Amino acid sequence: MTDDSETAKQLRPRLWETVNERYPGSMITKVDLVPLAPLRKPLSQTRLTFVSSAGVQPRDSLPFDVVHPVGDFTFRRVPSSSTPADLEIHQIKYPTGGAARDLNVIFPVDRLSVFAADWTIGGLTPNFFSFIGYTIDPTGFERTLAEALADAVAAEGAEAVLLCPA
Amino acid sequence: MQRAIERRGIPTVSVTVARDVTERAKPPRALFVPFMMGHHFGVPFHRALQRRVLLAALERLELAERSGEIATLPVTWAEARRQGDAIERELGLKR
Repeated sequence: MTDDSETAKQLRPRLWETVNERYPGSMITKVDLVPLAPLRKPLSQTRLTFVSSAGVQPRDSLPFDVVHPVGDFTFRRVPSSSTPADLEIHQIKYPTGGAARDLNVIFPVDRLSVFAADWTIGGLTPNFFSFIGYTIDPTGFERTLAEALADAVAAEGAEAVLLCPA
Repeated sequence: MQRAIERRGIPTVSVTVARDVTERAKPPRALFVPFMMGHHFGVPFHRALQRRVLLAALERLELAERSGEIATLPVTWAEARRQGDAIERELGLKR
């Protein structure tokens, strides 16, 4: 389905291969597909949550361990009522130039709260979820953090989830 | 992560700037944007673009028919940068 137009091309080519060369075995590869869970209500009645791997967290929370050799398998709850001034980034694996000036380029908390206010969506969960995506043990990551975070998302009452793998 | 959530019966969609990584990780639904890493929703202060990316992603929750589909937003990073620069000049943040 890819073509050569500027629209379809990723800006940073061969990301999977270059990361995998540097950190062998660190990149996830799946062969099977997960069946689609249906959206049960129109978006305008659906409670949304946001899950980010960008290392965005409340200023008073324990900073992610950005130098852990395997990866920090913890997550933080980020109140959906937060403003960018309440949040900071602990992640070193992506450029944060844009986010430093407007956090919405990677963690669109202002845009999502407008969607809740104008009924584009049915509402936001009280908390969003945040972690850092770096790991050299994707199997351990899936077994621990992914399962714990998925349980927390379900317990939060999310009816749909937007994710941003940074 | 996305697959673990979808397995709990909750529909999910991700926004990706790395189509090759997404093709291999096979999340249930994704929207690809050809933007710089760390800038998935566009450029600073460009609210219309940030909103457009979000709406296009949320639309996949209603429209995606097959697991593993990756939709593409017809935008370019160069155009997003140009528009963002113009917005920042208007706001007096850039000369």
